Amino acid sequence: MNAPARHELYVLEEGEKPVEITDDTKIPNAATIKVVKQDHTLANMVRGELLRMNNVLFAGYKVPHPLHPYFLIKLQTDGSETPVKVLSQACTKLIGDLSSLEQKFQREFSFKDARVDGPAGDDPYGTGAGGQAWAAGRDYLDF
Amino acid sequence: MEPSVQVRDLKRDRVNFVLENVDLSFANSLRRVMMAEIPTVAIDIVEVEMNTTVLPDEFIVHRLGMIPLNSMNCDEALRYNRDCTCSVSCRYCAIQLVLRVSCNDNETLHVTSDHLEVVAQTSYDDEGEVGDELSKRSEEFGHPVGKGNPNHQPVLICKIRKGQELRVKCTAKKGIAKEHAKWSACSAVSFEYDPYNKLRHTSHWFEVDERAEWPLSDNAKEEEPPRENEGFDYNAVPKRFYFEVETVGSVSPQEVVLKGLRELQAKLANLILAVQSTSDMPSIEGADVPAQMAMQPPGPAWGAPVATSPNNPYASPSGGQTGAWGGGSDQWSGRGSGTSPSSNTGWNSTSPSWDSGSGAWGGASSWNI
Ligand SMILES: [Zn+2]
Repeated sequence: MNAPARHELYVLEEGEKPVEITDDTKIPNAATIKVVKQDHTLANMVRGELLRMNNVLFAGYKVPHPLHPYFLIKLQTDGSETPVKVLSQACTKLIGDLSSLEQKFQREFSFKDARVDGPAGDDPYGTGAGGQAWAAGRDYLDF
Repeated sequence: MEPSVQVRDLKRDRVNFVLENVDLSFANSLRRVMMAEIPTVAIDIVEVEMNTTVLPDEFIVHRLGMIPLNSMNCDEALRYNRDCTCSVSCRYCAIQLVLRVSCNDNETLHVTSDHLEVVAQTSYDDEGEVGDELSKRSEEFGHPVGKGNPNHQPVLICKIRKGQELRVKCTAKKGIAKEHAKWSACSAVSFEYDPYNKLRHTSHWFEVDERAEWPLSDNAKEEEPPRENEGFDYNAVPKRFYFEVETVGSVSPQEVVLKGLRELQAKLANLILAVQSTSDMPSIEGADVPAQMAMQPPGPAWGAPVATSPNNPYASPSGGQTGAWGGGSDQWSGRGSGTSPSSNTGWNSTSPSWDSGSGAWGGASSWNI
């Protein structure tokens, strides 16, 4: 009856700010960034990328409570860049990696598609799923 | 090193691949996003008109929710009900299905997913804003997976005997598995790295002989076995990840993987935009996300991919790229358009609303699964 809508777990509310940045008052070049309506999927990946960057002295994240849909990411840089800038760079690098991976997947799938289209004897789903459409040389991008 | 992938096997309902030169965190995020954030269609609201079967309403309604429905290109083919401007649900944000089965023979009748019929929806006054969703649908969109295919075994909903009847109206909506597992496109995503446990990320409990009691996985063939008395390399990190993505049939495995990668990019792009507009930075040099991102159509800011044009808008294969930042903070204009509390009114009852008017047992009850 008064349960919150289930999608409040991952959809921003009207006027809700997606991030909140708090500069650290005691540590130089450090900030804590609260990212709302996101979870480990984003947090861990970003943290991992930050730790690979040379000008990052510290990067860590936490989800303070499993029922509260946000995480905090804390990072400190060596001063050559601001934490916010470094965070953006990390995300940009990840986007680059993901999109190059996407292209590689597409190439691999186009090689393998021929095999899927063959006699569908071993296929428990028959012509279900996107199977038929893929077989016809279409995919969801063609729409 | 650039990330790379090798697809080892591809079937209609599964794909097996090896991901290389990526972080554990990166590989794990891909796993998580494929499991929980690929939008699909599933039955969400059921109106029980008649149920004289042996199973209670709740039982059947729950089973209906779990039936995989064809969800190809669900991203564009259906709107989130919460984002739609219609009063309850319409053809842009929902698929209507009916199930009407009665048994008149002496033999037990199996009510299966094949008995579910999609109701063609015509336009009406109360429907949401006109969109191109309908043209993005394939013919089978919203139909139970495998319906009409003689090689496919349908999902059993319940068994009825002579004189019993089941009559329900279902509303299927778009959703993601983060909200309810019935929306998961995947039945399983297996994920393995370091089959010899060289990195000692796990410890094997054993009685007498560790090697005898912990047989190696098939993926061990792909890697060098550890040498006798090899020292522990505490700097080593996992680099090869063995995936097997198994779908429920609602979406092809190719689409699951590609949509997963897209979704991650959308999350990151939205984070960049959010951080940038929050900290008053004029523009971020070196951050090369093209301007298209600033022009995303109104929609749920985090949920939906930023752009779904056929050509990846932020396809900068790891390299320098033009794209200036859209500037300004109006990128977020689309944010939050998602929650209209008025939609769903009257449907969200958490308990069955028994209709006393039409008889003790026959009254229609609506369920929010
Ligand atoms: Zn609607």
